[in-house]
Amino acid sequence: MIELTINGKKIQAKEGSTILEAALENGVYIPYLCYDKRLTPYGACRLCIIEVEGQKKFLAACSSPATPGMVVNTETPKLLKARQTILELLLIHHPLDCPVCDKAGECQLQDMAFKYGPSESRFKAKRKNEIADTGSPLVERNPNRCILCGKCVRICGELQGVGAINILGRGFNSKISPAFEETLDCEFCGQCIDACPVGALGSKPYKYSARAWFLEEHDNICPYCSVGCTVTLDIREGRILRSRGIEGKGLNKGNLCGKGRFGFDYLYAESRLTSPMIKQNNEFKKVSWEKALDFIAKNLQAVTKAHGAQSAGAVGSQRCTLEDNYMLHKFMRGVIGSNNIDSIARLGYAKIQKAVEMSFGLKALPVQLDSPLGKEAILVIESDITATHPIWGLNFLKAQRQGSKLIVADTRETKLTRHSDQWLRIRPGTGTALINGIIKKALDEGIYDKAKAPSIQGFNSLSESVKDYTSQKVSQITGLSEEIFSEAALTFLSAKSRLLALTIGAAEDTKGLHTALAAANLIMLTGSSPSSLQMPAEYCNTMGLWQAGVTPDMLPGYRPLDKKGMDITAMLYHPGNIRALYVMGEDPLLSFPDTREVENVLRGLDFLVVQDIMLTETAKLAHVVLPASSWSEKEGTFINAEGIAQKVNKIIDTSGDSVPDWQILRNLARVMGSDIGGKNLKILQDEIQSIKCEAGHLEMKYNPVTYVPTEGIDDNYPISMVTGNLMQHSGALSVMSKSLSSVLADAFLQINRSDADKYNIKDDSFVKVISRRGSVFVKARISHEVPTGTVFVPVHFPHAKINTLTRLSQNGDSPVIAVRIEAMK
Amino acid sequence: MFNETILKEIDDIKVRYPDVRSALLPALYIAQKEYGWLSSEAMAAVAKALDLPEAAVRGTASFYSMFRHRPAGRNLIQICTNVSCLILGAEKLVDLLKARYGVEPGGTTQDGRFSLVIMECIGACGTAPAMLVNTDFHENLTEKNIEEILGKYK
Repeated sequence: MIELTINGKKIQAKEGSTILEAALENGVYIPYLCYDKRLTPYGACRLCIIEVEGQKKFLAACSSPATPGMVVNTETPKLLKARQTILELLLIHHPLDCPVCDKAGECQLQDMAFKYGPSESRFKAKRKNEIADTGSPLVERNPNRCILCGKCVRICGELQGVGAINILGRGFNSKISPAFEETLDCEFCGQCIDACPVGALGSKPYKYSARAWFLEEHDNICPYCSVGCTVTLDIREGRILRSRGIEGKGLNKGNLCGKGRFGFDYLYAESRLTSPMIKQNNEFKKVSWEKALDFIAKNLQAVTKAHGAQSAGAVGSQRCTLEDNYMLHKFMRGVIGSNNIDSIARLGYAKIQKAVEMSFGLKALPVQLDSPLGKEAILVIESDITATHPIWGLNFLKAQRQGSKLIVADTRETKLTRHSDQWLRIRPGTGTALINGIIKKALDEGIYDKAKAPSIQGFNSLSESVKDYTSQKVSQITGLSEEIFSEAALTFLSAKSRLLALTIGAAEDTKGLHTALAAANLIMLTGSSPSSLQMPAEYCNTMGLWQAGVTPDMLPGYRPLDKKGMDITAMLYHPGNIRALYVMGEDPLLSFPDTREVENVLRGLDFLVVQDIMLTETAKLAHVVLPASSWSEKEGTFINAEGIAQKVNKIIDTSGDSVPDWQILRNLARVMGSDIGGKNLKILQDEIQSIKCEAGHLEMKYNPVTYVPTEGIDDNYPISMVTGNLMQHSGALSVMSKSLSSVLADAFLQINRSDADKYNIKDDSFVKVISRRGSVFVKARISHEVPTGTVFVPVHFPHAKINTLTRLSQNGDSPVIAVRIEAMK
Repeated sequence: MFNETILKEIDDIKVRYPDVRSALLPALYIAQKEYGWLSSEAMAAVAKALDLPEAAVRGTASFYSMFRHRPAGRNLIQICTNVSCLILGAEKLVDLLKARYGVEPGGTTQDGRFSLVIMECIGACGTAPAMLVNTDFHENLTEKNIEEILGKYK
């Protein structure tokens, strides 16, 4: 710590901090427009000028280091005059169209002019008269209002790693623009909108919808991925108009991705359910809650009476709150008396959970958002973390910029591969073989923790199991050259600190349980702690769902269960196993692999209840549909990938007659003659709080795995199809958002130019994709992002029904799909 | 867009700097040398060769006035009309070029032989008037010798 004097007051500051940082940390106000905590100092706006005793010139506080004993003055008459002049210079070109500018009332330039200067400039020059760029979805640029502080450029390039815009030209003619003045076409994260101090960058969905001073500000936790970002929602007359990240706020420290910033409007989708409905003669009829619950109670009781409690099952939701999922567990186990309760996490996070338990003996291994920082080498296996967990992904980019070696193994070119130091373009689903190869390399070259690693249980069988994974064999399986493989393996193994990261989601077909186990083996062999392996939960409350006992083999708090129920594969892929199904906030028909099998089972059910916020594909098959209140319409708790429980607030009215999921279940239990608690939310939360979470005991064990070749590629099905997530979408929820759909609204098939030519496929034309399980029609998009022999399809979009093609992986392998592609005549 | 030789040249430059952004200006010069000016395609190709965002390349290219953003002739005449050159008849020389070759300042001759640019001071006040043709320096210009000099550039 160093000591300096600002405005006569002695203050303490961290060594290496700038004068501005020192002042802000001590509550001394210095005006600025171009400074941002997250970015390197830039010194463009000059408003933060200050006087330092002994220095003749004014210094820019944002880019001058604080030194011990420095005497700083921030508000002398000379400075005030200089600031006034700077503002006048900024105002030369500013249009002063505040009455029609959305930023008015929260505009930093307006505030500064009010505080320091005249509102008009003494200097006269031609005002800028550029045409606003209104052509792109979500982000609108009005260059006339721009003061060229460069914050948007730096946020986009430095922080987001995109660099879609820059300052073009010089002097008075400078302007912010995409490279060739084309319409903005970027990731649409919208970080530039929050960064802009004036109204030059605006949110298109928010445009002209409210004056800033009429807005009420409420914080909430984002409902998309498991990072658990704090979003600040501005509401007017009970409607959420926009979502922002506020500097320094929440786990995300003010950063948001496009989903968090624009995706909230799914709340207002036309397809929202507003009242309970019962199907009569193949048509849904609106009924009262009393009637609906009565109908469900009667039917559920009839099924369980005829076929036993084991004939009923339930599906929970990774996006419903902890309380909702806990209530579903209580309903199933307490009222129905069945352990048949599971969720789609079975096909995603469950694999991570299982691998963590098998390898480390722990019940859960939460990730840390800042884990990538400061690591010498980072290896990411077939995961685009910048798309699935965008804000966590930023830390991978940051680590790379700060000097970490980022090695990314992926078939597809992704944002992460573009920012990597080494991109291993492996064949899809061969991550397990790659990791086994690295293990073999470590053992052969003796680069492993010789003190710790051999003492871990199963060392001999591990070394035996990887015997065959020579560089040559790894090269054969993955398609990498032996040299490239060796180089990457040695970089990772010889690093002093390392991180291995991968995601496993139900929508991703390139990874399986084996991949996670192999990754754990490698981490233990290198002597790194379990936290060097980072495998995040998928959605906002995946961890909460798990803790709430929505799994057939565990009670809340990870307490083991003797009598296990049926898991999702037993329930949904084996006709006749269950007769009645209660689905809460999930759409198996869209999200689960191998749609035909699932549909077959769903159609064969005696009784299907779907409780959701919208009429999903599955809901269309239901006997009863119940409208649930959505995020922001109810209170509750989300547990993020770090294992942090965060409160979710109710800030708007519920949609129609919808009711929070946990209340529906409580009410239904009452109708069925049981009291499962939950008189009010407080009582329910206290009950959940009192459950102690078992952490497990750290006990490491190698679990040797072998690479299982994925579904056969043959003459009939010659192409591997990779499925996954897009940066602008998340599961099946985001497609309800009009804003996010304005960027991407339909599925497409990414195909390499050479494959396209081979099958006579034209860009943007419909193709038929056929797997061993079915066929779908999608538009082809010729792209260099996929290599020859591989295609990529996103899974979010209901109309494409991509899951008709996919398959279930039950043996720990990755369920990559073999397909054939035909051009449409 | 770039042929092997240009890509090789750019690759050679890349390794000279710790940060690839430092190689941007020399890489842009290579592109300009090859095509006479920087088209959008050329700038995009530079971006690809250096693995930089296109916006970063265009931003830098548009900042420096010695990069040309419109097609130019095979030879670029840059003539100074600042004070010393002006007093010693630079404007007459410009008129002569206009009349002789039919080229306006900022324009290109019809046959694409010359482009004419009016330059700010090139530091040859003692030997004014002066001009640059491509990268060659010519001073003590007169209405007579300027034609001789330009005759050498086809």
